[in-house]
Amino acid sequence: MEISFTDKDLEFRDEIRSWIENDYPKHVKEKQDKGEALTKEDITDFHKAIAAKGWMGFNWPTEYGGTGWTSTQIYIFQKEFGLAGCPAILPFGVAMVGPVIYTFGNEEQKKRFLPDILNFNTWWSQGYSEPGSGSDLASLSTKAVKEGDHYIVNGSKTWTTLAQHSDWIFNLVRTETTEKRQEGISFLLIDMKSPGVEVEPIITIDGAHEVNTVFFTDVKVPAENLIGEEGKGWTYAKFLLANERFGIAVVGAEIRQLNKLKEIVSKLNNSDLSRKVKKLEIDLSALEISGLRMLSDIETKGHPGPESSILKIRGTEIQQRLTELFVEAAGEHALIYPGPKGHEADSQPDGPDYAAKALAKYLNYRKTSIYGGSNEIQKNIIAKMILGL
Amino acid sequence: MDLNFSDEQKMLREEIQKFCMSDYTFEKREEIIKSGEGFDRDFWKLFSELGWLSLPFNEDSGGFGCGPVELSILFEEFGKVLVLEPYLSTVVLSGYIIDNSSFSQRVEFVEAITSGNKHVSLAYIEPNQNFDHADPETSAVNDGENIIINGKKSLVLNGGNADDLIVWVSYDDKKALILIDKEQSGLSFIEFPTVDGQTCTEISFKDVNVSKDAILAIGDEAEGLLNEAINLATLCVSAESIGCMTACYMKTIEYTKGRQQFGQPISKFQVLQHRMVDMFMETEVCKSLLYKAMLECDSNQDTKSKSVSALKYQIGTSGRLVSQEAVQLHGGMGVSDEMLIGHYLKKLVAIDALFGNSDYHLKKY
Repeated sequence: MEISFTDKDLEFRDEIRSWIENDYPKHVKEKQDKGEALTKEDITDFHKAIAAKGWMGFNWPTEYGGTGWTSTQIYIFQKEFGLAGCPAILPFGVAMVGPVIYTFGNEEQKKRFLPDILNFNTWWSQGYSEPGSGSDLASLSTKAVKEGDHYIVNGSKTWTTLAQHSDWIFNLVRTETTEKRQEGISFLLIDMKSPGVEVEPIITIDGAHEVNTVFFTDVKVPAENLIGEEGKGWTYAKFLLANERFGIAVVGAEIRQLNKLKEIVSKLNNSDLSRKVKKLEIDLSALEISGLRMLSDIETKGHPGPESSILKIRGTEIQQRLTELFVEAAGEHALIYPGPKGHEADSQPDGPDYAAKALAKYLNYRKTSIYGGSNEIQKNIIAKMILGL
Repeated sequence: MDLNFSDEQKMLREEIQKFCMSDYTFEKREEIIKSGEGFDRDFWKLFSELGWLSLPFNEDSGGFGCGPVELSILFEEFGKVLVLEPYLSTVVLSGYIIDNSSFSQRVEFVEAITSGNKHVSLAYIEPNQNFDHADPETSAVNDGENIIINGKKSLVLNGGNADDLIVWVSYDDKKALILIDKEQSGLSFIEFPTVDGQTCTEISFKDVNVSKDAILAIGDEAEGLLNEAINLATLCVSAESIGCMTACYMKTIEYTKGRQQFGQPISKFQVLQHRMVDMFMETEVCKSLLYKAMLECDSNQDTKSKSVSALKYQIGTSGRLVSQEAVQLHGGMGVSDEMLIGHYLKKLVAIDALFGNSDYHLKKY
């Protein structure tokens, strides 16, 4: 048993660290640290910087222009970005649709889409949830009817993150009504500029515009935008989710947040709050080791073990708890709500500098136990798959 | 990064598992408790023959030189069937102190322990103290070539079966660990059962006169040995509690699958399923903290005692939750003393009380 990284891995870590230190866009890190919202330009800037370094395909094989890194290197890469306070790389292109395209797409599709993902020339969105299909995703009803060399798409997708900036959306659509609902689902790429696509903002309880509903009315989509086979979309969707889960095992950003919280709380002389922070620190330490156990299983056995199933639940609980304790630390100063001008630096009230953003993040992070398969759905999965109930 | 156990460690686990599953039935365990002996002497002999009693001792004392990882494996498996045998008191606590002291008869004592012929108990807790035992009231004073001991120790695990005692005392302005033959005059004993089916003893020392040769360690060395032994024992009972928690959730799954109410197995109810998932998750969280603590103890890192505190805090909290849920989901069966499940709750309560409870270790962390 060995819980530490090899010297080679540590060298790799130092390379990542020094690049972040010297070459990562400073204005993005500063904004992120202050809890300020990033603009489209900010998000583009940091992705372009990573792409220029050749690290955008951090989880891709070299044959498609990726880094070809080991799971350990991917882990270290993500952890260092989190520890340094860099915002997470948007998953929709590089972590979600990219691997689906290079695994199940044809040569034409690979050539057409992969380079733009690696260079961050296209913004992608995820078209999974629908107004009537949340946890029960297989009940989705957005229809794609084939007419000649096109599909005609009608329906709507919701909770679509950053769709207001998107160029493309990957959609689960119903191409057939089958007895087993999963068998009629296909995986279709849709250009957001197509006539009939409309984006309507949803403002979340933190006052932010992060998610949207996307409406499709008689949208004409070339049949060549179908990934793999018709009716196999559910298989690709599950493949995508399995890829996505890995990122959850990494706790860099949470460690950074915790250290910040500890610094704040150490000055407050509040033993009750200190005790809560200690408990959270132990929870986070356990989560980190659980992530390393998963990494060790992937590296030595080729697949994650049952312990990985708890990571989404525990990870999001800890993220939420962190935001709660920031609010608690801010006390009455947490009252300030980020209204229309709330994200602007010049509207900061006096008082603790973390206070004005604490409540917004707390409110925003309620999403974490809901998205990616709500924590209750995760428990259903564990009950069935791991405990055999 | 490789968090897999070695092949030798896996084999050790399988061997212990085999014994626990086939020989350590609930009926057998009840029999041992009713005998009033505290443990089964044939099993103890078997542990010796299988080499388990030699595991943690240094090779130059005739041991196998295994460490915290192997001890964690052993205790986790013991926890699954609630083994009563006094491994913790004789091998871990007393064994560690003797093995790592400069005591002249160290090798003979270790040999007597590993051959299964000797039990030694550590007497460090006092009636007027709780968790913090740095300053014992029990004292030793010089009397020519001898020392005279007076005072009282409580909660001496397996004290009734011990042949010798290691006593933690104040000695001049220092502290010392002194090895005393239990037949020594001036000692008196009262034996008590503990909530987890074991026994402990309250021991009074009235002008106990022993040779200075009996001093195992003085001052910093004595404090170091005591703290290290307790740290290791804390790790062991934490691993044991993870075995208990594992058994709790697995037995609860099995029970709810077999228990029919409202025309179906109660395991089909989502509200119960999610509670069993919580039991599983708590156990896994503890296991992660165990890995961290045992590996840090194994490589003797500065942070090891902090990691052991994190672990002991968590197993206290999670152990309570998991075993209470196990009792609740077993319904009336859970509170029946004739059923095994309630005994896990008792064991986990006992473990929380040993070596500093959840609250104590959270403060210490």
